[in-house]
Amino acid sequence: MKGKSRARDAPGLKGAAAEPRGTQGELGASESPGSAGHSSRHRVLARISRAVARREKRAHPGQLQTPQPPDPVVGFARRFSDSGGRVVTANRERHRGEWLTTFMKGLNLGATVGVAVGTDVPPEMRPNMPEAPPDRAAAGVVLAWGAIAETGSLILEPGGGRAVQLLPPVLFIWVPVGRILGRMEDALLELQTRLPATVALHSGPSKSADIGRTVVTGVHGPGRCIAVLDRTPSSLTPLRALSVRTEAYQHR
Amino acid sequence: MRIRSNEYRKRSREIIRGDPAVREAVTGATLAFDRNRKQAYEEVDADAWRRWAEGVKNHVLTHLDDYLAEAEAKLEANGARVHWAADAQEAREIVTTLAEKASVKSIVKGKSMLTEEIGLNSALESVGIRVCETDLGEYILQLLDEPPSHILGPAIHKSLGEVRRLFADRLGTSSEDSPNALAHAARRELRDAFVDADMGISGANFVVAETGTVVLIENEGNIRLATSLPRVHVALAGIEKLLPRMSDVAGFLQLTARAGTGQPTGCFVSLIQGPAAQPGDDGPEEVHVVFVDNGRTAVLEHEHAWEALRCVRCGACLNVCPVYRQTGGHAYGWVYSGPIGSVLDPGLLGLREAMPLPFASTLCGACTDACPVRIPIPELLLRWRQEAQEQGLAPKAEGLALAALAGVASRPALYRLAGSVASRLGATGAGRALPVLREWSGDRAAPQPSRPTFRRLWRDGIE
Repeated sequence: MKGKSRARDAPGLKGAAAEPRGTQGELGASESPGSAGHSSRHRVLARISRAVARREKRAHPGQLQTPQPPDPVVGFARRFSDSGGRVVTANRERHRGEWLTTFMKGLNLGATVGVAVGTDVPPEMRPNMPEAPPDRAAAGVVLAWGAIAETGSLILEPGGGRAVQLLPPVLFIWVPVGRILGRMEDALLELQTRLPATVALHSGPSKSADIGRTVVTGVHGPGRCIAVLDRTPSSLTPLRALSVRTEAYQHR
Repeated sequence: MRIRSNEYRKRSREIIRGDPAVREAVTGATLAFDRNRKQAYEEVDADAWRRWAEGVKNHVLTHLDDYLAEAEAKLEANGARVHWAADAQEAREIVTTLAEKASVKSIVKGKSMLTEEIGLNSALESVGIRVCETDLGEYILQLLDEPPSHILGPAIHKSLGEVRRLFADRLGTSSEDSPNALAHAARRELRDAFVDADMGISGANFVVAETGTVVLIENEGNIRLATSLPRVHVALAGIEKLLPRMSDVAGFLQLTARAGTGQPTGCFVSLIQGPAAQPGDDGPEEVHVVFVDNGRTAVLEHEHAWEALRCVRCGACLNVCPVYRQTGGHAYGWVYSGPIGSVLDPGLLGLREAMPLPFASTLCGACTDACPVRIPIPELLLRWRQEAQEQGLAPKAEGLALAALAGVASRPALYRLAGSVASRLGATGAGRALPVLREWSGDRAAPQPSRPTFRRLWRDGIE
């Protein structure tokens, strides 16, 4: 089984990778916020090792084979709509920013007209509307890294700003159709090669049924989510490279 | 959190007789959750998914030291900081110290059963920090100073009328307001809390060892806000929450959501590797992950109960349980209630503290059939009952056992399942610890059901 060899590859308890914070003697008290933080690490891991040693090892069962959706774009649109989102396709013949401006003006977005736009949305995809900070904007416009048909999820990276993905009551998300993938696992494997500090999967508007079992939208995140499919050839152009900060974190 | 499991019978009676609205609200909510789960299971090859998930979790739990070390190394390489808490007190101290060091005045929290377990809020409040629960259900309960009664729907025991009265009193809403208007009143209050907070606290649904990723599932967006806006994010994770690889997340996200609410996935999923990458990016400057033991290694050491550590906290076993439905979670006297609480709490707290929870079940087995990681809850209940009997902790037969017997005898399906459990455990003697069976079998040798049982043959035949 693949899992067994995988487990052997994992850093062992006594391996260098398992002791990133040095030995107990090297650890200054100020580095550990809990009074017994490091010794607890040692105690907990040692106790786990003893428990694990007594039990027969189980192999990883390998990958879960979920079916490949026949048409990712159709599959995504169906799932995202089922979850209360809306999916529209931008007119391929028109300038995308102009198209979005017209489309947004056709919706009732309330009296305030300010729009917050993700910093990574390219100029040709930005609406021609007055901008406002995310906490005051009537709507937000962001660019998705991609989407997943299996779960109806948009993949949002943090570079364009997280607040604009979350604070405005209405959110428009540009989705390059070339990056709508069928299965979530394939999307995660793709992402894994270039993981940013955080990745968010948004699958429809914010929801809660905590009051009287009635589903309410827009409790904290956006209450209306409109995925705008971009079918232009440039929708296949890679986004800016994502990166994980690798230098050691200096605790303050 | 104060442990009141020993008062289970008294509190059950009080709730059933004194507050019948609880039973009505909990029954309605859990039946709806369970209908959605069944439908969501039918859309996929749920049996194959559940066997897979069981296999992955068993693999993790038999390599847990390796995966924790790997996760720690990856998280630190990503710029996050990892802490270890052997018990609740240490976990509280770690978070309180982090908050004080970062001069935190105000905290927003996402729903986390682990923080309930360790009593984090009161520890933070005792040093003068404002703590605001932001999940709508948790927010309601914080206003009422009540603990959650369900893993997924913490306030499902509250009727619309109760929330109307509460919000009219505290937020100035009208006593006729719709759930929508009430939720938006809460949104306005909480929006200010998000913007003002210096620290966000979350739990962790999963921690991926391979990439050092904290995975969080939710529907409201409050966890995304709490982990994005404040300058410090602290995630508390039980040590059993590990997954080996990023690719495993796909199956677990989908299965957990389908089991819990019947959705294909939660509306918002956060995959958090570490602090904001570039100066000027929004997102927390500091990300801390606290691995909490607090009794979990004791469960891992237990010959049988370790299987309960597969639990992903979806609440499916609560939703399907005829016993949980009568009272909701508060009667169980601790944070984990229902079938999973009845097998987990004796391990986490010690059997004496958790009595009589292993007896608070008809052993109908519906929980195991719903469980996304196939925890054999009825078998574990019988193991705990056997231990309780050996330690002289078991309740007197004329009390619980007779009541349970009456319940079983009046329902042929339960009677057969009890027989099925006895047949699986017959050789070990655990069957004798089951008062239900002892009562009807008396001193005679227990009738040996055929193996496999008729019921199982019948069910397997139609599936």
